[in-house]
Amino acid sequence: MNLLIHDAGPQTTVQDLGRRGTLRAGVPPSGPMDREAFLLANRLVGNADDAAALECTLIGPRIELADERWVAVTGAAMPATLNGATMPRWAAFEVKPGDVLRLGPAASGVRAYVAVSGGIDTPPALGSRSTYLRGQLGGHQGRALRKGDVLPLGPPSGGAPAEVLGQFIPDYTQVPTARVVLGPQDDRFTKRGIKALFEAPYEMTPQSDRMGARLRGASIEHTRGHDIISDGVALGGLQVVGDGQPIVLLADRQSTGGYTKVGTVCSFDIGRVCQVKPGQRLSFKRVTVAEAHELLSAYRAELDHAIHWEETP
Amino acid sequence: MGIYAEPRFLPCGDLALSVELGDDINREVNARVLALEHLIRQQRVTGVAETVPSYRSLLVYYDPLTVGWDALTKSLHTLWREARPEVLPPARTVEVPCCYGGDLGFELEAAAEKIGLPADEVVRLHAAADYYVYFVGFTPGLPYMTGMPERLFIPRLAQPRTKTPPGSVSIGGSQCCIYSVESPGGFWVLGRTPLRLYDPVSADPILLRAGDHVRFTTVTRPEYDAIAAAVADGTYTPRVTVAPLRIE
Repeated sequence: MNLLIHDAGPQTTVQDLGRRGTLRAGVPPSGPMDREAFLLANRLVGNADDAAALECTLIGPRIELADERWVAVTGAAMPATLNGATMPRWAAFEVKPGDVLRLGPAASGVRAYVAVSGGIDTPPALGSRSTYLRGQLGGHQGRALRKGDVLPLGPPSGGAPAEVLGQFIPDYTQVPTARVVLGPQDDRFTKRGIKALFEAPYEMTPQSDRMGARLRGASIEHTRGHDIISDGVALGGLQVVGDGQPIVLLADRQSTGGYTKVGTVCSFDIGRVCQVKPGQRLSFKRVTVAEAHELLSAYRAELDHAIHWEETP
Repeated sequence: MGIYAEPRFLPCGDLALSVELGDDINREVNARVLALEHLIRQQRVTGVAETVPSYRSLLVYYDPLTVGWDALTKSLHTLWREARPEVLPPARTVEVPCCYGGDLGFELEAAAEKIGLPADEVVRLHAAADYYVYFVGFTPGLPYMTGMPERLFIPRLAQPRTKTPPGSVSIGGSQCCIYSVESPGGFWVLGRTPLRLYDPVSADPILLRAGDHVRFTTVTRPEYDAIAAAVADGTYTPRVTVAPLRIE
């Protein structure tokens, strides 16, 4: 009932859907950077949406399971092999005791997810198994995984051959468009500054992490400085500091901050933003709150039809 | 200015909105923010997932598939009318032991020189004040406090340090801060508390809450070490008293 880490890769962590209700104490939710890819991995192996799985960053791990399980690999295009044989991604397959699953470097995208039927059963911290690296909380001893770590697994929940339908598998080589609702401090920016945000694409910089995606592009001009009275920072908050460059605040973000936020990237586009590699670009499109809610509703409904089961489980 | 006549509802994407109640940092606005949060939590407002108070606004995370913008802002507006400090439970006062100076308070001497007071006078003034926690945030368990005596106001460090040990009790501008995790810092470190403001291995990891009062008690180095050892063993209980809320 264990998962053994032979090689961890640069940053492999245990994540579930994240913490709830802890931001008011300064503890971020954490959870998967790409929620959609994470959910689909869990669903492929018959897990509940909130089961814990592995999030792998840029280069995947080499792992072995102690008993028979269904496994699915989604997200970034990390070539998956089982005992050296190529395995499909975005699909469930069976792994036998002693089999070694290996994920190579991501050809495109940044984060891949490995879900195992039964889920990873590390002890919850503040109601979640998600790893919060800066706070040394949750996951496996509050840290990224290392060679030799052994993770407990929950009782297997069964499984069946299944795959994600082609139209739901993103092409991470493309330049994505992230939908943005203006606010809460859009009144602190010039018209020209806001126009710049939606005009030309921004480039992902290597300084990005689970806390925020630091972007480079046209300067988003303030009317009167970038300091505000510190307030809460929502997921996707587009914080603009003195140099006019935006930072998209993500799963491990600070709960509050003292910089202006011109807009907020919609929740349903956050996952795709988190798959943009440093040096790649992304663009922004303005939507209203009402449009964002319609898009969210459609997105959740679509996600429920993304998986094809070859036989009824 | 101060408190707005009507709350401002500011969109924060598809899953959150900010309820802004005033335009400056003062206890009255903040008490209303905390009162609004208290009512939302008490009445379990439909569709509200999570709330984050700050100086003058409340960030409200919600599920738009359960409650729409119009319905949510309407119920928040109704609660805002009742959101007065009187609805809050009595405030807590938390005693925070602090060992001033020495290697734990490694900037006490320099700060005293900058302020132009003897170091022991800086300690006396700092430990005599009543601090109020507006909210907790930025890093886990970090309190945003007011109550610093004016004579201790000091410009922030010209060169922020890259690492400040957790528990460092420090001052900068008009503010007093206790670092909750190892962080970069631009405040002058006067001392350190053996208490853990954030303890990831504890069942109750956060010491301070929004609305708390904080009193520093001066401890010697041996006392600091003894408390630190008890904290590490899980046998130390912080001294917390509860008194009715009073707005000055």
